Amino acid sequence: MNEQVVVARKPFVWDELRKAWAISSKDMKIYYFQPAVLIFGLVFPLAIFFAFMIGRDVKAVTLFPGLITLTIFFSTTTVAPFSVPWEKMNRTFERLLFAPVSMRAAVLGKVISAFIFGFVISIFPLAIGLIFFGSRIASYAALILAFFLGSLCLSTMGMLISTVKADTPPKVMMVLNVVRLPLMFISGIFVAIPTLPLYGRVLAWFSPVSYCADLLYKALGFKNYFGMLVSSLMLVAFTAVMFVASVLRMKAWNK
Amino acid sequence: MSASIEVKGLTKYFGQLLAVDHVSFEVEAGEIFGFLGPNGAGKTTTLRMLTDLTRPSEGSAKILGMDTVKDSLSVKAVIGIVPEASNVFLELTTEGNLTFTGALYGLRKKVRNERTDELISLFDLEPHRAKKGMELSLGLRRRLTIAMSLMHNPQVVFLDEPTSGLDVESSRLIREVFNDLHRKGVTTFLTTHNMEEANQLSHRVAVINDGRIIAIDTPELLKQAASESQSLEVAFDKDLDETGEKDLAALPCVGDVRLLGDKYHLVTSDPPCVLDSLYPFMAAHGLKPVSINTFGPSLEDVFVKLTAGREEVARDE
Repeated sequence: MNEQVVVARKPFVWDELRKAWAISSKDMKIYYFQPAVLIFGLVFPLAIFFAFMIGRDVKAVTLFPGLITLTIFFSTTTVAPFSVPWEKMNRTFERLLFAPVSMRAAVLGKVISAFIFGFVISIFPLAIGLIFFGSRIASYAALILAFFLGSLCLSTMGMLISTVKADTPPKVMMVLNVVRLPLMFISGIFVAIPTLPLYGRVLAWFSPVSYCADLLYKALGFKNYFGMLVSSLMLVAFTAVMFVASVLRMKAWNK
Repeated sequence: MSASIEVKGLTKYFGQLLAVDHVSFEVEAGEIFGFLGPNGAGKTTTLRMLTDLTRPSEGSAKILGMDTVKDSLSVKAVIGIVPEASNVFLELTTEGNLTFTGALYGLRKKVRNERTDELISLFDLEPHRAKKGMELSLGLRRRLTIAMSLMHNPQVVFLDEPTSGLDVESSRLIREVFNDLHRKGVTTFLTTHNMEEANQLSHRVAVINDGRIIAIDTPELLKQAASESQSLEVAFDKDLDETGEKDLAALPCVGDVRLLGDKYHLVTSDPPCVLDSLYPFMAAHGLKPVSINTFGPSLEDVFVKLTAGREEVARDE
């Protein structure tokens, strides 16, 4: 039996990516169709959007950058805060720690599954806007950056929130919504950042959601606030910081 | 023979609580090493430190010459871990759990699938291959948990209470698997409070109590330390009255007498001496024997003696 143990050594990064992808694939199978994920990730943003839109004298087309941001925000930040405490509760997260999987790869795996979920789900409001409400894409570059960097950054944010000291998904979901709901109002989702009051514009700098929204306003031909370069760099910076923080917090939890 | 596991002064504090107190031992390659102790003695904490699931406060451990903390990932590539609670993914099928585990160990798809088939057959899980973890009974989940720990053909396996709460068939199957692994040279570290399991499986046994190792030896040599705890069990064709029970307890060489179901359990350091007086006793009371068995000291007797000894020392201190 022992002679089979030796596995050909592969480059470290490739090995880590393969293991991260294995974790993501497993998460996709298990969590994408969980009622809690669908409700908090898909139904919630739609409900909030319609609650804001119905009865107001605004053109629907002006609200689509906000709706898409909201969908990216809620869908990406829901997967890890559900799956991580669920696996901690059932002690299946330990399965990842039994194996030669670094915490970095484990966190990356969780982020990738949330990223794909958010990315795919958010295409639907974009398509609805383009097909039924007359939205148009003014900047493909901004759109791609918003979808890629925004989804990645907010997936990492969801991962970071999932590391709070709580042992069940409902407790983590509660913390998640305490963070998400205020961010919704200072990030240019319902009201574009340039039109926010001064304190709102200052606070918007501290929310990663602002930069995703800003890129989407630019992408759909509306006035943006930060500019593409600043928004992209800020999303990359937030992603890096929150990723490192997630790894450190998960390591601390484990030890 | 070289040591597969080397432990030096391993210590763990949880806040002010000293859970494991400077534990040191070695486990030879291919050995089945039992780690016995009551609940809360420090067994699981020791196992978690050896597998880098918990960081030691002091001391160090090496698996196959690799430091468990500094070379954590390399160590994890060659060990298999079976936790006390079966932690299979409830939403994945039996096959899915195994292939996912293989992917975590970096096995190629072809190897993963072959190994999955082997383990499903070895653990008699073929009828349950497509069932989800949540649909499996506790015994089947346990089998699957152990199969997952063997997916990558580990050289050292850590088992935490492997047969706890299992039916006889599953327990026997699991013991057979580990005896087979031993024949293939796999080192096994078994933590348990099941004395009989440790006795049947282990080549050597360490007894831990209050975080300290109080004895390490082969089960048979440990039992010699409790030679006064031999026993004789006798079942009569009729119930004994109060006088009969008093007379039985007064027989030469008999220490403690306990009624266990329909049998009397006589503790003695000299079973032949008890047998000599037992037949005259039965004749005098008009009894016939249904069964008479003698027993050497059990590992349980050794354990009770060792842990009781420490409690006395602790009280004296």
